[in-house]
Amino acid sequence: MSDLGRMELVCPAGTPATLRAAVLAGADSIYCGFRNETNARNFPGLNFTAEELAEGARFAHAHGKKVLVAINTFAQVDRVDMWRKAVDDAVASGADAIIAADIAVLDHVARNHDVRLHLSVQAAAATPEAIGFYAEAFGVRRVVLPRVLSVQEIAALNKQIHVETEAFVFGGLCVMVEGRCYLSSYATGKSPNLNGVCSPPESVSYLDDAQGTTARLAGFAIDRYAPGEPAGYPTLCKGRFKAGNKTSYLFEDPVSLNAGSMLAGFRSAGVTALKIEGRQRGKGYVTDVVSAFRRAVDAVEAGGDAIEIDRILARMSEGGRQTAGAYRKTWR
Amino acid sequence: MVVDGELPVLFRRLFPSFIGLPLGPMLTLSLRSLARRRPQLFDRLGEHRRASYRIDPSDLAFSFIVVPDGQMSLVRVVSRDDSAAADVAIKGPILMLLGLLDGTLDGDALFFHRVISVGGRTEAVVALRNTIEDAELRPSDLLGLHGTLARLTDAGVLHGLSAVRRLTDRTATHARAEA
Amino acid sequence: MCPTKLTLGPVFYHWPAERLTDFYRRIADEAPVDRVHVGEVVCGKRLPFSDPVWPEVIERLERGGKEVVLSTLAAPSNVRECKVVKELCHDTRMVEINDLTALPSRRGQSFVAGPFINVYNGGTARYLIGQGALTVCPPVELSLASIGGMARACPEAEFEVFAFGRLPLALSGRCYHARLHGLHKDSCRFTCEQDPDGLAVDTAENQEFLAINGVQTLSNQVQAACPPPEKLAALNIRRLRLSPQSCDMVAVAKVYRDLVDGKADAEGARFLLSCLDLPGRIVDGFLQGKPGFQPAALR
Repeated sequence: MSDLGRMELVCPAGTPATLRAAVLAGADSIYCGFRNETNARNFPGLNFTAEELAEGARFAHAHGKKVLVAINTFAQVDRVDMWRKAVDDAVASGADAIIAADIAVLDHVARNHDVRLHLSVQAAAATPEAIGFYAEAFGVRRVVLPRVLSVQEIAALNKQIHVETEAFVFGGLCVMVEGRCYLSSYATGKSPNLNGVCSPPESVSYLDDAQGTTARLAGFAIDRYAPGEPAGYPTLCKGRFKAGNKTSYLFEDPVSLNAGSMLAGFRSAGVTALKIEGRQRGKGYVTDVVSAFRRAVDAVEAGGDAIEIDRILARMSEGGRQTAGAYRKTWR
Repeated sequence: MVVDGELPVLFRRLFPSFIGLPLGPMLTLSLRSLARRRPQLFDRLGEHRRASYRIDPSDLAFSFIVVPDGQMSLVRVVSRDDSAAADVAIKGPILMLLGLLDGTLDGDALFFHRVISVGGRTEAVVALRNTIEDAELRPSDLLGLHGTLARLTDAGVLHGLSAVRRLTDRTATHARAEA
Repeated sequence: MCPTKLTLGPVFYHWPAERLTDFYRRIADEAPVDRVHVGEVVCGKRLPFSDPVWPEVIERLERGGKEVVLSTLAAPSNVRECKVVKELCHDTRMVEINDLTALPSRRGQSFVAGPFINVYNGGTARYLIGQGALTVCPPVELSLASIGGMARACPEAEFEVFAFGRLPLALSGRCYHARLHGLHKDSCRFTCEQDPDGLAVDTAENQEFLAINGVQTLSNQVQAACPPPEKLAALNIRRLRLSPQSCDMVAVAKVYRDLVDGKADAEGARFLLSCLDLPGRIVDGFLQGKPGFQPAALR
């Protein structure tokens, strides 16, 4: 859907303190999740209780901001009630929208609530036909686009669909089609779809020796860093592997997404909302990234060029390096 | 990271009373008093509140072993050479570690740039880091300080942090230019 | 107790046309499977190579008494690929959908919900059954207990378990064969054709781990789940899927036929499978509710 309104800046919050920081730094909406397996950032010590969410929503609403609640994992066979309860709690807490991926969860929302429904990136809906299905079947109003489309493809897509689109502009970059990746569970038994975690911390170990640090996941060596070399979290798809006699970052270099220089492009492609990844990141990150993007979005909306935000944000990036990812076609 | 030069001076100015005093029992009491005032803060740690965390300031002669179990919390001060076992080891310059406490510094960013290093049970590190993120602690909270001394401590540590932060900004810019 | 059926899944790899023709000729004549999936699932760029092969292959398979299912792309990514998916959905034969792009064109007609469709619970399964799904092959990361939970809750559909072959673990917008060879996806030169089982990916410490197949990432290890027929019956699981590798798939099908017919036990079946020329050691962790790479141990 092409909509030339002001682009909405959607920002992450893993804790109530981060939610407040995001609001104060200039977010238009804040997305967050419950402290369990119903959301895709289920890390120890992270996320909200129903009470914390209600309090966060009151704070956001008092500042004229929205709260979007991610219930975007796939309900487990014998525990579907936990996902239903998460939806009901989110609505009761004053959520402005639910972000979901599982058909059973979407169906529960559509049948029982009139809250706004967003399709999570975990649903990997990248074609007009798939997006049209979710819009028609469940009344989805916005789709979070998979991180595999170029800006040109997003522009073409927006001409063929009747729902809003939200595009990731900054943060961790999944190179695999999200919601269709079982690399993590293959190595560790826990997956984004089922448990809300990729490369879970309990399977991660860093071992130091004289030559540097080896990061392992469930015993598999994922990467090795010389002393002082920028390190990364051992996410499987960002590891160094051997294939065809070559050792390389086969899937993706340890980089973060930064599409800060392409905001004007998103605007003309008809993107409604810009999403910053990082519910697992802290207040410092959220404050810096959100305020940088606030200034950049405001500059673009005022008709100017996006300010140079790469420099400000380099410090926040995994491995200290950034990419525009699939938004530029050469990435493929 | 060249912070060593300014640290001992700052540290002496801030914590003169520590010399020769039992730091461990004092920090234990501070942590337990924090748990009385804000019990929900420790809920975030979940099962990891019973884990032992070795905090190893790389520019100090001693380390802390902390079990952040609410009102059962325990802090021991050990010599840096003491190889006492802990579930988790977190190592880095003291100002960086303090900067993590109040969220002035971003733990992931410091980790990715190897300013701090972690070992042991990663899930317990993550739980502690997220708990601290949400707690919005001031350095004085952890030291159990009140009144003027608390304000001076916070101001001093936070001033030191902003100096360090400018330094990490420069390092990051440098790293990016190389990449 | 109705006998467990065997399905031969689609070939994930970029096999040349002659190889496909020869492969399916032998399957048609010799493999004791009930159903055979044909068609390209992984990469839309490969479609022009295999398209000319399918009419003869389908005819041959049907003549051999196999039910043919037309599999569709798992991640259609442009207008042309979406069009191909939609056209296949209008076929009168059974169709396997691997992306919801296909659903609007197939709704109301019977289909197989393939392992790339996220069916994780009874609610989602029932929804798709309501749309026309007759067979559901859930994502490979689910345990046998979870699949059984859905199968018992939805007796109106057949549930199928991915029993044999390298496990399809991920899809990407990026082609890893192209990236490895310093090429872009748009001008990839089809280097994936050199690796009929995918290309092994090891850790930097030489531990066998994954395999790449163009935009797809698979396990290096080979799933070789041998659930006893009485367990499948108890869970209401009515089909096992065998995913083609370059090894002797007729032999694989015979091992599984004997297993589900109760003529061989699980231990014997695993032994016979491990004697074949497999591209990796055998695993079945996912179905046990464990990490997928866990070896298929004798129990």
